[in-house]
Amino acid sequence: MLRVAIVGCGKIADAHASQIQRIKGCEIVGVCDREPLMARQLYERFPVKRYFSDLSELLREVRPDVVHITTPPQSHFDIARFCLERGCHVYVEKPVTLDEEGAQGLIALANERGLKLTVGHDDQFSHVARRMRTLVQGGFLGEGPVHMESYYCYELGGSGYARALLGDKQHWVRRLPGKLLHNVISHGIARIAEFLTSESPQVMACGFVSPVLRRMGESEIVDELRVIICEEERTTAYFTFSSQMRPLIHQFRVYGTKNGLVLDQDQETLIKLPGGRFKSYLEKFVPPVVIAEQHLENVITNAGTFLARDFHMKSGMKYLIESFYRSIIQGTPVPIPYREILLTARIMEAIFVQLGASRPQVHRELKVQNQRPMQNALPHQVSSPRGLPD
Amino acid sequence: MEREAFIVGRDDLILITGATGFIGSRLVASLLDRGFRNLRCFTRPSSEVARVEALLGRCRDGERVEMVKGNLLSRADCAAATKDVAVIFHLAAARGEKSFPDAFLNSVVTTRNLLEACLGRPCLRRFVNISSFVVYTNTQKPRWRLLDESCPVEKHPEFRGDAYCFAKVKQDEIVTEYCKRFGIPYVIVRPGYVYGPGNEGITGRVGIRMFGAFLHLGGLNAIPFTYVDNCADAIALAGLRQGVDSEVFNVVDDDLPSSREFLRLYKQNVARFKSFYVPHFANYALCYLWERYSNWSEGQLPPVFNRRTWNAYWKKTRYSNEKVKVRLGWTPKVPTPEAFRRYFQNCRSRGPDA
Repeated sequence: MLRVAIVGCGKIADAHASQIQRIKGCEIVGVCDREPLMARQLYERFPVKRYFSDLSELLREVRPDVVHITTPPQSHFDIARFCLERGCHVYVEKPVTLDEEGAQGLIALANERGLKLTVGHDDQFSHVARRMRTLVQGGFLGEGPVHMESYYCYELGGSGYARALLGDKQHWVRRLPGKLLHNVISHGIARIAEFLTSESPQVMACGFVSPVLRRMGESEIVDELRVIICEEERTTAYFTFSSQMRPLIHQFRVYGTKNGLVLDQDQETLIKLPGGRFKSYLEKFVPPVVIAEQHLENVITNAGTFLARDFHMKSGMKYLIESFYRSIIQGTPVPIPYREILLTARIMEAIFVQLGASRPQVHRELKVQNQRPMQNALPHQVSSPRGLPD
Repeated sequence: MEREAFIVGRDDLILITGATGFIGSRLVASLLDRGFRNLRCFTRPSSEVARVEALLGRCRDGERVEMVKGNLLSRADCAAATKDVAVIFHLAAARGEKSFPDAFLNSVVTTRNLLEACLGRPCLRRFVNISSFVVYTNTQKPRWRLLDESCPVEKHPEFRGDAYCFAKVKQDEIVTEYCKRFGIPYVIVRPGYVYGPGNEGITGRVGIRMFGAFLHLGGLNAIPFTYVDNCADAIALAGLRQGVDSEVFNVVDDDLPSSREFLRLYKQNVARFKSFYVPHFANYALCYLWERYSNWSEGQLPPVFNRRTWNAYWKKTRYSNEKVKVRLGWTPKVPTPEAFRRYFQNCRSRGPDA
């Protein structure tokens, strides 16, 4: 039985506890939050053995094999390092750390100790994302992606989280180098990073505070972001984050040399875009029918998954956790390659630097052997902090 | 004559958390109307400026309404807010939160911080905790059909599938625990469904909008309405009356309409829309099936409808306001017909809910 602990008992910890309890062969042996009441409420609502307000005590008393870190990102590095140093595998919620250097340090430490680490990019393991991956790996696109578009929109008006963030100048999200973007865009960036092959793509970012937020007196929360990512004149990608555009989509479009794919995360649909063209007027009539047929197939697939009791809102998280646990027990590769975790962190850092964020001041004393130097200093091509290149 | 029965004088400092909220702003008005002229209004930093200004605008000569912005998650803010206060009306809470941890954090942890800030404050005469009818289980009541202060609260609110209910039950628990342990005089007030200008929604006790249709679930059940001004008066009295420490008061108005009557009046006065009546047995069966499916599917559908919910919201129930009338001397100053007239008028101007 794999012994699991959760550190940080806020909103996302609920999702972790819900999915962990659905996985056979593991048990939640303890939860921890520096606010004892928060730890206790999670303990009372889920099958959890004990609760703690001190991380050292949790690790000492219940000796977990895996620790899920669901605290605000500022503490990810220190808590993950603490757990790794005490022999625990770690699942860190996104973003993995405040910057790439932190992610490098943790991965190196995990490697040195023979432990494993993953990050909560669970959207990449939803049913539809897995279907897309299978197609790409099967060569559906042709010679890999030529161009990608990742849309990650965010409802700022309705959620309690957004209200709290906008109303509180001391909110922890405001202290992140990339502020709101730092806490949200990982999923959308990770989708692109998965299909990039080079270590240091060019990143060009343009971000601004939307007029709606400016009218509310907000001046520091960037809620509109456009990014161009380009690797060695081969693959390009656009990333769009928006709180204002409608519909609020979470889509990923990938185009290869033969065909394309459109993944809609909200609708859990995957549409194949055939690369060929029909002759003359047939192009106007046949493709819409083919697309309609695919939508119907998606409906049937989704209904089947629902009837099979496997269509939970966080089914991707369950799959990721299961895969991670399997990699620990069976020694198989981790579900998210470390290269992809680092590349995601690197692209995000490049974006925030271009938006004018200062580098995080994180005290690090890691002494890790065999730390592979990663290429840094992405070729930023932006002359002004918040503008597109001239 | 009335003031002699109060535990504080008109110049004693009174703290109101959530003061710019739906009930809080009326409570401030009620206290000022009763002659209390030293109020400290604690509001979130995000509170609308207009609401704050509206409160300050009520201030007359000789009255002092101090606005304090802060976060009850901050112990320093709680310490500053409770300094020198004689009575605390604690209305601030998480409403409309679907997330259990968020609701808990903004109701229970904040309340604990406020209570801890009260320790060692000899001038504090009473802590008034605003709870809700949602805490009642309404299952094994001692008196069949009558819901009053003697009824049990949910022992396992985590099974109700309602973050607000969970947080409110836990909030009541922590208030009772702290106040008993540290000797803080307290009163708990549990309003029914508070309505009025500022809250134009139709309570789920009447029905819910689902799949594009309005499902009428209440039938002939009485709805525990309390008009916001009446409710604020009851809360004010709960904080001021002598001899009611450690008591719980339910607040509902007189002449409660049935769900069916309310819906008819709403359609007549606000907007016409189609509604479909779901008989009680069918509603219970749906709740039961939903609960079973939610368990079987390991939460593929969240357990928002279950038998506990049905008992709390749609079981045929009578309500009593006898205790609040007898012990606090409260009477609803706005009669129900007049309250509905104002409410419907506001609904028309703001747009219908259903």
